[in-house]
Amino acid sequence: MARYIGIRLLAMIPLLFAIAVISFAIAVAMEARGSIAGSVCGEGATIECIAQVERQLGLDDPMPIRFVRWLASAATGDLGTSLTNQSVSVSSLIADRIGATLSIVAYSLVIGVAVGMAMGIVSAVRPGGVADRALSVASAALIAAPGFVLAMLLSWWLAVEWGWLSPAGYTRPSESITGWIRSITLPAIGLALPTVALVQRQLRSSMTNALQSRYVLAARARGIRRTSLIGEHALPNAMIPTVTAIGFRAAAALGLTFTVEVVFNINGMGTLLTNAIQTRNVTVLQGSMLVVGIVVLVVNLLVDISYGLLNPKVRLER
Amino acid sequence: MSDASTAVAVSAPQPVQAARARSGFWMRLFRNPLTVAAAVWVTLLLLAWLWPGLLAPHDPYAGDVTLTRTFEGPSWDHWLGTDGQGRDLYSRVVFGARFAVNSILIAMVVAIGLGVPLGLFSGWRGGRADRVVMWVNDVLFSLPIVLLAMAVIIILEPSLPSAMLGVGIAMATRFVRLTRAVTLAEKEELYVDAARITGLSPPAILRRYITPNLLPSLIVQVAIISGAVILIGATLSFLGIGAKLDDPDWGVMLARARFDFRLEGIWQIVPAGGALVLTVLAFNLLGDGIRDSLGRDAASSSLTVPRKVALPPVVQLHASGAVLSIRDLAVGFPAPGGMVNRVLSDVSLEVFPGETLGVVGESGSGKSMTMLAALGLTPAPGYLSQGSVSFDGREVTFLPEQEWQEIRGRDIGMIFQEPVAALNPALRVGRQLMQSLLVHTDMSKSQARARAAELLAEVQVPDPERRLDQYPHEFSGGMAQRVGIAMALACEPKLLIADEPTTALDVTVQGQTLDLMAEVQQRHGMAVILITHDLGVIADAADRVLVMYAGQVVETASVSTLFSRPRHPYTRALLDTMPQSHRGHGDLPVIGGVVPSAAAWPDGCRFAPRCEFATDQCRTSVPLLEAVGTDLVRCVRHAEFEFGPHAETSA
Repeated sequence: MARYIGIRLLAMIPLLFAIAVISFAIAVAMEARGSIAGSVCGEGATIECIAQVERQLGLDDPMPIRFVRWLASAATGDLGTSLTNQSVSVSSLIADRIGATLSIVAYSLVIGVAVGMAMGIVSAVRPGGVADRALSVASAALIAAPGFVLAMLLSWWLAVEWGWLSPAGYTRPSESITGWIRSITLPAIGLALPTVALVQRQLRSSMTNALQSRYVLAARARGIRRTSLIGEHALPNAMIPTVTAIGFRAAAALGLTFTVEVVFNINGMGTLLTNAIQTRNVTVLQGSMLVVGIVVLVVNLLVDISYGLLNPKVRLER
Repeated sequence: MSDASTAVAVSAPQPVQAARARSGFWMRLFRNPLTVAAAVWVTLLLLAWLWPGLLAPHDPYAGDVTLTRTFEGPSWDHWLGTDGQGRDLYSRVVFGARFAVNSILIAMVVAIGLGVPLGLFSGWRGGRADRVVMWVNDVLFSLPIVLLAMAVIIILEPSLPSAMLGVGIAMATRFVRLTRAVTLAEKEELYVDAARITGLSPPAILRRYITPNLLPSLIVQVAIISGAVILIGATLSFLGIGAKLDDPDWGVMLARARFDFRLEGIWQIVPAGGALVLTVLAFNLLGDGIRDSLGRDAASSSLTVPRKVALPPVVQLHASGAVLSIRDLAVGFPAPGGMVNRVLSDVSLEVFPGETLGVVGESGSGKSMTMLAALGLTPAPGYLSQGSVSFDGREVTFLPEQEWQEIRGRDIGMIFQEPVAALNPALRVGRQLMQSLLVHTDMSKSQARARAAELLAEVQVPDPERRLDQYPHEFSGGMAQRVGIAMALACEPKLLIADEPTTALDVTVQGQTLDLMAEVQQRHGMAVILITHDLGVIADAADRVLVMYAGQVVETASVSTLFSRPRHPYTRALLDTMPQSHRGHGDLPVIGGVVPSAAAWPDGCRFAPRCEFATDQCRTSVPLLEAVGTDLVRCVRHAEFEFGPHAETSA
């Protein structure tokens, strides 16, 4: 297993490099379309502003040198300064926002995986049964509904039915743990609902297959109880493909939190990125892209590790 | 389980069949009301895209200048109410279809235009080109689509087309994967290989072989990805980096609803959100519908309990003293058109303590199905349609699953054909062995572990303590089968059913396995049912033999009678195929043809089409006839035959 994780870690290096290239290429592509400085400084651009932006981006130097310089400082955690506010570093902007985004994504995954697994198991035990059909219809509807619409409906319903206006904004866990949980619960539920559907579908299919397998038949022929057949025999095998699906969903959820953050007035990566796009603030976008890319890589690594844990063939590899 | 379906002839699809399959496809597609509803909705969407003015009564951009009719609920004037500027929400939703369909078009042109050629290239070329393309593809695939779209948006400008360009690039990764997979699979096919050798150019091969195989999955993916594209488009518009703030785009309308997040303004969620959700749902359902119509029906789980059928109240005569007695067992499988394929009919057998009953027959003769059905393990959607099973003097035909669980594993042990497949790959062998003991006895965990080690030692697995903590993939086939035997014997059952226990094993291991079983049988005095297609094994191990063909018993006899005087032509044919009986020169004789699948069984004698002695008499159905004593044979002409003694017994 240590070797397995080691290989996965090594494999991350070229991926990291690829993400760095993509992030850096954004600025190059923008430059190719016209002056970044011009669009950042706006209509009445002063010479000082343009000079300042060009210095920040180091546009005087050839591209490979700029890339190496950008990569080298990124490696030390320095992602440059915001083009619209030179006193603020991109890293501090991201550090300020990413906590909210990650908490919502992680929380939504916990809810989504737990509920989705329960639903998937119920479906697979009796495929075509009443419960399965009801759950499959629910899943189809949830997959079609974007998380932010569900989140809006949810807070509307709570406001009308309970007169409870959802807490807007984000409370940091350092300020108050309960406040933190309160502030991210509704956004997480909104984001979790499509995850529930996805997990239900994948687990239903892989679990149905597992329950039809030879080893489950053999276990039944040994008189093994139904609960053990489902929980101990079928589930671990059915989870192997499901974990992969959860990994993809985690990456997608990272992109989709942005909307849920907007619904609940949470200052996360979503507002940071949309503002950066509207003001053509390329250093912020580059930095965010790199950081989100790294988060995705870490998620993939976690998926690979849980995949290995579930699969003894991989786990015992030496 | 696979016995009943192995003998299906596979042939290349002919044009006529293809045409029939196609009309069958449309019928299947529109049989599902959900798919029909989805198709209707997509048609409406396309109408709204082409001629929105036809469906929308108002100008989607023109508000109420007096600003008195804002945030209205549904009314006769405004079917879905108005927004904060008094604009008609219904008309805005209809015009929103323009943005939705345009989004799909842009994204799909980009995604398919990039993805399919790249996938074809990657799959066809293979080697380094393939690795490079797939590596880049995987990097892009793993990044959130929204983020990739954002990168394109900042490079170009915030607008729906540039957003869709980004989404298209992200979605291209899906098409690369799909196209490459199909190309790789097709490239390996023999007919493609042949075409290549005969000098057909790659574009021609592409057109003739790969495109037809790619198209179905491509259409399914286009439908499902269309839904995803609309979702992401709405997400970007909602964030203010897609469609313009004034546009009647569904995402923008939702952003307005968010902006007017007072109770009166929140109503706007319903029209825009509803249109969005229904459209995505329609595309998903259409995709699912197409996929289901192309493929087979949804699988059902093996945990589904066999359907109960009302059996005629016939008094079944079970042999007294038999451990297991099966009378007139029949198993049906639902077939297309409300028909039933009876894969087993009128199967009867009994086995007594200490005795070994051999069951022989080719693949597809129903040997395994008989045993599974007798144990209440009929694989779904099959069901027991007739018959009675008694175990140890107790009627068990429709025993509830809970009571069966008490018997299976404790009183009946079963050994499977593929020893490794019968073990759960994710559980330690020791855990699986202990499970039987923990379920059926009141041993503690540590006692069960000690007993499990003992059992492994009994079946001559070296180093049992260490082996207990290993996983099935660390066992060779022979060792895994020893584990299988140990598991079946864990609770010292009265009956052991061994389903082709040696077929998957090396010849050297086969003998050891049989010896082991015989030794255990002598020690415990249990009854054994030994299923095999290998008559050599029968000659070695069985006392009595039951020959099965096409879901029926065709002959029963003691092992010496069977080898010295086979009565059924099928039995004789089986004996002739034994290498031991073949003394002459030339090829080993084979039985021509295969066991036909259940749907194709003839009305009369089922072996007649392959039988060299068949006459007109054989066209009517044949009962089991008494030959001599308790020996039975299902052949109207058996008295005429005098098949000679066989090598096995004369040697």
